[in-house]
Amino acid sequence: MPASQERFDRRRFLSGGARTVAAAALGGVGAPLLLSDCSSAPGRAVATPGVSRAAPRRGGSVKIGMNSEIDGFSPFSDNWDNTGLTYANTVYDTLTAIAADGSAQPYLAESVTPNGDYSVWTITLRPDVFFHDGTPLDAGVLVANFEAFKASPLTGQALAPVLSARRTGHLVVEMVCSQPLVPFPYYLSTQVGVVVAPSMIDPPAGTSPKPVGTGPFVYEDWVPNSHFSATRNPRYWRPGLPYLDSVTYFPIADDGARLESLQSGSVDLMISTNPSAVTTLRSNPAYQLVDTIHHHLGEPDMDFIMLNTAVAPTDDPEVRLALAKAIDYEAIVELFGGGLTQPSSGLFPPGSIYYAPSSYPTYDLAGARALVDKARSRHGGAISLDLGTIPDPRDVQATQAIQSMWEKAGFSVTLSQTDQATFIENALEGKFHAYTWEQFSAPDPDLNYPWWSTTTVGPVGGISLNFARNYDPEIQAALEEGREHANPATRIAAYRRVNERLALDLPYLWLARTIWSAGANDSVMNFSNPTLPSGQPAEGFSGGVLDPTPIWLRA
Amino acid sequence: MLGEPVLKYLITRLVQLVAVVFVISVLAFLLVHLLPGDPSVTILGPFDTAAARAEVLRQLGLDKPLPLQYLTWLGNVLHGNLGESFLTKESVSHAIAQAFPIDLELVVLSQIIAFAVAIPLAMVAARRPNKAFDRLSSTFTFGLLSVPAFILAVLLVLVFAVSIHAFPATGWTNLTSNLGQNLRSAILPSIALGAGSVAVYFRLLRSDLISTLQEDYITMARAKGLPTRYILFRHALRPSSFSLLASAGINIGSLLTGAFVVEYLFQLPGIGYQIVESISSRDYLMVQGMALVVAVAFVVVNFAVDFLLVLLDPRIRRA
Repeated sequence: MPASQERFDRRRFLSGGARTVAAAALGGVGAPLLLSDCSSAPGRAVATPGVSRAAPRRGGSVKIGMNSEIDGFSPFSDNWDNTGLTYANTVYDTLTAIAADGSAQPYLAESVTPNGDYSVWTITLRPDVFFHDGTPLDAGVLVANFEAFKASPLTGQALAPVLSARRTGHLVVEMVCSQPLVPFPYYLSTQVGVVVAPSMIDPPAGTSPKPVGTGPFVYEDWVPNSHFSATRNPRYWRPGLPYLDSVTYFPIADDGARLESLQSGSVDLMISTNPSAVTTLRSNPAYQLVDTIHHHLGEPDMDFIMLNTAVAPTDDPEVRLALAKAIDYEAIVELFGGGLTQPSSGLFPPGSIYYAPSSYPTYDLAGARALVDKARSRHGGAISLDLGTIPDPRDVQATQAIQSMWEKAGFSVTLSQTDQATFIENALEGKFHAYTWEQFSAPDPDLNYPWWSTTTVGPVGGISLNFARNYDPEIQAALEEGREHANPATRIAAYRRVNERLALDLPYLWLARTIWSAGANDSVMNFSNPTLPSGQPAEGFSGGVLDPTPIWLRA
Repeated sequence: MLGEPVLKYLITRLVQLVAVVFVISVLAFLLVHLLPGDPSVTILGPFDTAAARAEVLRQLGLDKPLPLQYLTWLGNVLHGNLGESFLTKESVSHAIAQAFPIDLELVVLSQIIAFAVAIPLAMVAARRPNKAFDRLSSTFTFGLLSVPAFILAVLLVLVFAVSIHAFPATGWTNLTSNLGQNLRSAILPSIALGAGSVAVYFRLLRSDLISTLQEDYITMARAKGLPTRYILFRHALRPSSFSLLASAGINIGSLLTGAFVVEYLFQLPGIGYQIVESISSRDYLMVQGMALVVAVAFVVVNFAVDFLLVLLDPRIRRA
């Protein structure tokens, strides 16, 4: 692996990757605003929540409450959010995974090596790995998977720079890129790094393929909106793993109901982005809580207001600046973040290697008013805009607060609510002024290339993966530099430049980073302590994605 | 056997039933066309080509004239083919077969609970109207009626699931998997669902019982020295229960739809929960199929109850 690829985590990478791979079509980019972040309190039954050094105990079953339901198990055609990626970790493996130090390391692949300029990558698979149906994993299967990913309208975008995959040995595949692609191994730990059995690649028409992977658990049954169950894979290629006999996931959409499910014992472990879950579980020593507040690898999910830079009045840079200055970020975070998080001023949180102070504006109501007064003449008097969100109570309340702040600055603001699918379509087609949004989780910033690139800006009414339609050649140049250069310092500088340009262009008004939490009763061990095949620690829980492989139950 | 008036009544109601079901089928069919957005975008995602979208619309028959679309759809429905979910590729019929028993069990259990509480209360209260027990019972049942199911559900969860861990807060165990676990998962939702019915049934039965207990034949029974309990059960309950039965029939139909909220709060994968999820993900065929099933079930249940009343009550037979 190139030395530059060092700031990763597997779960976040998976999570971010999936969104990056497929985000425009994915539900995950909707609007949950302002999440909290905290570490678990001391004095619990388990010394380090989610981590156990004791000898694992085999057997048992764990019930896990997830925050959403998936639309299917096909990595080629289904939109995987954190729940999809958790399910994928259950039945599939990815070619690479993220180590605790942030580097991308081989997982199902034995090695992933570049040529001199990073434009050709050679993937060597592990020997003697079998899918759940007994089919062996070999280079032919990997090439067939790659071709299916490339052909998919959903995942083809992510693999756009990869031109071809060629079998060069029984277990060896060579992937040729159109340009140097330094972060390529990171892509292999996302949805496009999943390898499925040949039976899933071309299923009979009208059928939904059941998942057949090489993963630690074997699919048992899935009843949409009810549960997904899987049992231990007795032929798993990682010796001794997994520990559990079975795992069952329950999609519980309502945050409160999910928390109550944990408290009542209906589930043993649950995922949340709600600050109240953090505060409730943190104060109760009967539970373990792992959250992502101190998670600084790669790039976190961000909550922000996305502005359409291609339609009036938000196409006016001074209007965008006024909107940015009119938001009292501290108040928003206090009101809706449970007092647990901090306002953000850019893509990366302090502590991230990519973080640097930026020119992002601070709250300045007088300055906002002055800008609005100045801009009025260009917009025929009143400056009116619509602030849209999805029908989520917290998001609706947050938009009401922001509406009030913007109106104090002199804007005329209407609020609208749209179902999530239409919301995303509107974003793609540029049919909005301002939308609440959550996006950008990625172990490497390059995975966000499609959303910031000038090459993906489309006209209003047409499809634009750059939802905000922010056309900035300087951002494009920085993105290319980050993609093509292996030197860590060069890459860091490039993404800091992207961040600075975004602070000047203001297509996004940053609110706070999204914080995920995983709460469990004290019998669930090791839910945030995965390892790589080499024995090296992998990164723990982040991005709302769990890996059930290392979990075991205390007697 | 059934007399001529009953047969005539039955045929008339059957004709009405068919007409109503036809209207329901048209409305359910039109649901797809009323929902926002393009089904092909939902199926293919926003990235695909116009040609691919046109092909999907052709495959679904959505490029044909509306009446032809309806007839094709109706033919499929009559053959038990409600299509498949755009998202999960699951057969709608299969999804309904999995979800509907949950609604059915919830409704039945909620009504058993409601009857079990309302009937004894009403019988005792009707013996001495406007006395302390009657007033207390009335207050209690009206209290239940005034608490919406979504509030009661939350209270039940907080007390019985979160605090004393007697029942699960969410989730469902199938009847066939484990009867005990099934009842544990069904009891709180059923109470939440049936609480409102208790007040209605109590008031109806109490009022009819008071009226019945003033009839001459009851006075005669008392004069003969028959025990009060015997009179209540043997002579007063049946003639007093027609309003209760009619109300239960209507109630059961509405509970099928009322279960939506309870299912969502308890995260039970019944028809209601599935419809809510399908609407938010614009899974058109799932919404269509489930709405059709719920509406038809409502009409059929009401028809069955009406018919039962005809059989039970000679006054209706003669009307």
